[in-house]
Amino acid sequence: MDALDQLVAQVQALSGSEQDVAHLSSLLKQADELLRTHALRLPFSLSSLHPTKHSLGYLYLLEAQSSGTLTREQSDSFLALASSFLTVCAPEQIRLAPDKFNSVCRRLRDQAMHLHEPMRAILPLQCAIRKLQPSSEYLTAIHADYLQMCLLSKCYKASLSILEDDIFEIDQKKTSLVPRDFLLYCYYGGMIYIGLKKFSKALEFFQHAITAPTTALNAITIAAFGKYVLVSLIQNGQVPPFPKYTPAVVLRNLKSCVQDYLDLANLYASRNIAEVKRCITQHEEVFKNDNNLGLAKQVIASLYKRNIQRLTQTYLTLSLQDIANTVQLDDEKDAELHILQMIKDGDIFAAINQKDGMVSFQEDPEQYNTCDMTQRLNNEIHHIVCLAKKLTWVDEQVSCDHAYLSKIGRDRPRYDEDFDLVPQKIYTNI
Amino acid sequence: MAIPVNGSAAGSSSPGLGAIRTAIRSLQFSQLADLLDNLELEIAASGASKPEDWPYAVHVLSHVVNHDLNSARFVWKRTAQTIKESSPELVAAWKIVQNMWTHDHAGVYKALKGFDWSEQVQPVATAISNDYSSCMLRLLSTAYSTVSVADASGFLGLSENETVTFLTQQHGWVLDPASQMLTVRPMSSVVNKKADSSQLQDLTEYVFHLEH
Repeated sequence: MDALDQLVAQVQALSGSEQDVAHLSSLLKQADELLRTHALRLPFSLSSLHPTKHSLGYLYLLEAQSSGTLTREQSDSFLALASSFLTVCAPEQIRLAPDKFNSVCRRLRDQAMHLHEPMRAILPLQCAIRKLQPSSEYLTAIHADYLQMCLLSKCYKASLSILEDDIFEIDQKKTSLVPRDFLLYCYYGGMIYIGLKKFSKALEFFQHAITAPTTALNAITIAAFGKYVLVSLIQNGQVPPFPKYTPAVVLRNLKSCVQDYLDLANLYASRNIAEVKRCITQHEEVFKNDNNLGLAKQVIASLYKRNIQRLTQTYLTLSLQDIANTVQLDDEKDAELHILQMIKDGDIFAAINQKDGMVSFQEDPEQYNTCDMTQRLNNEIHHIVCLAKKLTWVDEQVSCDHAYLSKIGRDRPRYDEDFDLVPQKIYTNI
Repeated sequence: MAIPVNGSAAGSSSPGLGAIRTAIRSLQFSQLADLLDNLELEIAASGASKPEDWPYAVHVLSHVVNHDLNSARFVWKRTAQTIKESSPELVAAWKIVQNMWTHDHAGVYKALKGFDWSEQVQPVATAISNDYSSCMLRLLSTAYSTVSVADASGFLGLSENETVTFLTQQHGWVLDPASQMLTVRPMSSVVNKKADSSQLQDLTEYVFHLEH
């Protein structure tokens, strides 16, 4: 019986109680060298282990086996093995080696991409996230990979089961997560919400990527900001100033990296369709290279909408011809189509009179007295109450934190300054 | 590629497809899209490719019937080029999505009626057609005060005569024969305004929260 057989025997013997597994974990940590030298025999050893019962040992062996380049057959069999392992492994065991677990997940992603079958990795990674997370409030390193697979395979809707969980916990010890994983999670999450046309959620994700604490500017932040500018224009018609908690290095350097986008934002403020169109054609190359051309075109469409919306604030009735002239649409018919679509989407309230070619703008007929509305209001309040509780809890944690207290003791006066960590806008929306 | 009508026919049929046929037969369209999406992911995760009798057209339309054009679009985008070329029914289903996307109302009806749907797809197509025309009727009555007969018939997918009879007799709209314009009578919608006692419990909880 050589060293590898011995290790396998130990895995089989020490996968029972919590104590045994902890002991096994320390043994396996020293076995890297051994596993690497016996790489060729690992498939055979794996077959004598049970993925659920001996999850921890199985994880180490699988990880070691998949290192290095794989042939097509090997990567196919690795995908099958890893997929079933991630689905059935025991959470309490694999959580002892989050770095190895992340590494298996990442290889699963790489192999699925290598075979051009990203969809193959979606369900296994979804299981993997749930296994590694102590609760659905934890972010893991697998989140970003999972979202990337959803994007590549165009399964946008499938990603929502993970993306809709509110993340409150980032725990490096429990999940072996690095800042890059967080930034990519925000970036890919934002892209998924763009695809689903949920622009306000997309903005939220990009903003997290831009304002994440950092001491160096990185490519993910820059890419996120480009999309952030475009989505802001589509959703709100303007780009808001950076929140106060944006890192200084981002504040200083970000704008010079995305001048083309800011030019567009400045022109957008003039509400001149022709100018905006010209600007997009002028910077077309940049937008195309950043894969943002489609989004830029949606910016144009949003300006038509916004200009029509402004008319409703000034006029009670207006002829279709006048509307077409004012917002630079081709003809009456085009104006009618735009208005019809806006009425359908609930953006404006109006009635089109085809006989006279006039549109009369109306007030929002919502009386806020239906059961549906009460239900919506209740859900919102419930959500906010939960959030407030969470905030109080975090506040208590921080105020008991030793490091925080000793720092506050030193420079107390700073704390009294007007230092709002949450943008005011959030409050006015409630 | 022929899509077998009675599941057991040729091709390697996946067991999950049975549930899908049941959902279509019982007109449970709200679950249909999720069933298909999940099954698609399961098949992909097992490393297999889709079975020969995978209902591509139903998959696209299952999202349309739930008013989720975005997801329908992504189903089309992730379908292999060879499949698109060999399945005229899928292409016809995609035509519906395209017309809806560009708000070509008359085109939607034309695409719905212009293809001889297989037995499996027919119930979904019918549901889409009914749902679309009732949506359009609602839109017509909120967005217009007067509308031409020609435009209204495009919205509803009916001939001009049918449109006039339908709108004047069943919905009380008025036709001006000289200009061929219909005067819209807004729909009165009944909404539930009654609050029940369970909301009292919610209110109590909110007040409790605010005071603590």
